[in-house]
Amino acid sequence: MSKKTDTTRRAIVGATVGIGLGIGSLSLLAPAISLRPKKEVTPEAEPPKEGDLFTFAVGDDAGKEITFDDLPLGGPAVLAFPKDPKTGIIKSAEKNNLVLLIRLNPGDLGDEVKEYAANGTVCYSAICTHLGCTVGEWDAAKKAMLCPCHKGTFDPRHGADVIAGPPPRPLPALPISAQGNKPVVAGGFTSPPGVLAGTEAAGGSCAV
Amino acid sequence: MYRWLDERLDLSRFNKKYLSKAFAVHHSYFIGEIALFAFMTLVITGIFLTFNYEPSIRMVKVAGKNLPAAYASVLYIDSLPFGAVLRSVHHWSASIMIAAAFIHLLRILISGAYKRPREINWFLGLLLLVIAIVTAFTGYSLPFDAFSATATGIGYGIGTSMPYIGEWISQVIFGGEFPTVHSIPRVYSLHVLWFPLLLMALLGMHMLVMVKQKHTQPAYAKKVAPGRILGVPLMPQQAYMSTILFLLYLAVVFFIGGTYIAHPIEVFGPPTASTPAVKPDWYLIWIYGILQIIPGDLKIPLPGGAVMNSEFIGSILVPGILGLVAVLLPFLDTRATKMRYMELPTRHPVRTAVTFALLAFLITTTLAGWKQELGLSAGQLWAIIIGSSIITYLVVYYGIILIWGRPPKGDPDAEIA
Repeated sequence: MSKKTDTTRRAIVGATVGIGLGIGSLSLLAPAISLRPKKEVTPEAEPPKEGDLFTFAVGDDAGKEITFDDLPLGGPAVLAFPKDPKTGIIKSAEKNNLVLLIRLNPGDLGDEVKEYAANGTVCYSAICTHLGCTVGEWDAAKKAMLCPCHKGTFDPRHGADVIAGPPPRPLPALPISAQGNKPVVAGGFTSPPGVLAGTEAAGGSCAV
Repeated sequence: MYRWLDERLDLSRFNKKYLSKAFAVHHSYFIGEIALFAFMTLVITGIFLTFNYEPSIRMVKVAGKNLPAAYASVLYIDSLPFGAVLRSVHHWSASIMIAAAFIHLLRILISGAYKRPREINWFLGLLLLVIAIVTAFTGYSLPFDAFSATATGIGYGIGTSMPYIGEWISQVIFGGEFPTVHSIPRVYSLHVLWFPLLLMALLGMHMLVMVKQKHTQPAYAKKVAPGRILGVPLMPQQAYMSTILFLLYLAVVFFIGGTYIAHPIEVFGPPTASTPAVKPDWYLIWIYGILQIIPGDLKIPLPGGAVMNSEFIGSILVPGILGLVAVLLPFLDTRATKMRYMELPTRHPVRTAVTFALLAFLITTTLAGWKQELGLSAGQLWAIIIGSSIITYLVVYYGIILIWGRPPKGDPDAEIA
């Protein structure tokens, strides 16, 4: 056996074993997809849909249905979860279902807001578009909704435009209509609620 | 007994080789040890906490109230004798570990000890600091009170801001969009098992490399016994000093833990739909500060519709660049000869001044974390941050030159090296 054949044979054996081991090991990585959890949509986690009522999300009245009279005129905004009137299920299991209801003087509303409003009341996602805190505070001086985490401030009169702080886009609006003395959902969010992961926001809120 | 073991295990050889290792003596050499003691304390108090903690956010009824199981179990821990103290000691030890590791890093930095041949330990040390901070952050969510759940939610948001991979990584770490029922078990596993194992492995390597390469010698060793390794043997002198230091450390941290209860979850209450105003722990406030003053609409577009948004730039890119500079440092700042003695900070005015400027940057960006309370605008804060970093550099650089003179041409450490 010449020396040449010996090296070739070694190379072939080495390559075969190497490729086999390599592909075999790589195939073991396939189960890694199960590291990402499954998104389970229960009735409590479904997005708001047309006809849903609103219930208080926090405080002593949590779970109680909201009427227009429950909303202080001119703010502050009230935190609410949608509720399916047929099943009676409050959709509080999905963080992005948390919304803000705010009743304003209808004359103060910008034109772009009016089509989503009912009785001067506007509904916005309560999840800050910056890093997902709840826009749960009220800046009385600016008459605007304030996120306590990094002081993002949103103007409820003009499509929840960002008037101060770091949020990258306005809060999405949730169109509402009036059903008797209660606000009800009249459509889906105008843009995806919550934090958008490292992608360009597709469209803005109703302000755009 | 010793003879019996020695005959079988050849202990004498081990003693001669390892237990008599010479430890250089210098007060600044104890800082790294303190980080190690803090880690040991974290493991021991952590074991106590895992015995009682329940990693679940499902609601349980406790004394007539519906509470998440994790929150209720931390209340239970606080009600045990010494429970709140041990939990506080765990919390404060994490702070001390990170502080000690950072000061240790500064010592290595200003004495040039990252240079050949100790680059490996410099990298291991940087990795240890980063993993320690990540571990501390994963522990933050576990009590699942309103404060910690909000803070962790922000961390989740920052994670998702990474272009392309962010959402995937965040969902893998936090078990979906934080907080889901899968979040706490996952973060718990990472916090009590995988990150500590990783830290132990890295710490082990860090110390093995240190034993193999030996400490840099303090400058005085050159005067006392040039060319020789000066120090006290591990057994018994160094071991006694370390034990005393460890006991002293425990005394101090138990005093702090007993006096200041960490993170009073009863005050914060369980998470609700609204989120409280939160600030991160002190070692992350500089990032929080940058996030407050960076323009929110700052965007760098990337191919494929992805963007680097302001959250990514402020909280991942800026620290990432600092980390990258740190990793490249041993290749940028080199020396011709193998390093045996610590370099004098006064002989390296640029490096020393940059170190102080970095400190000024970290302190002023931390200050920006109180933007609202200070009533300063983002522009004013940027002026303070950039201005004080530059002024600190100039003051330190010219201060050194004025007092100690310019470093000699050629090898600035010729006298000691």
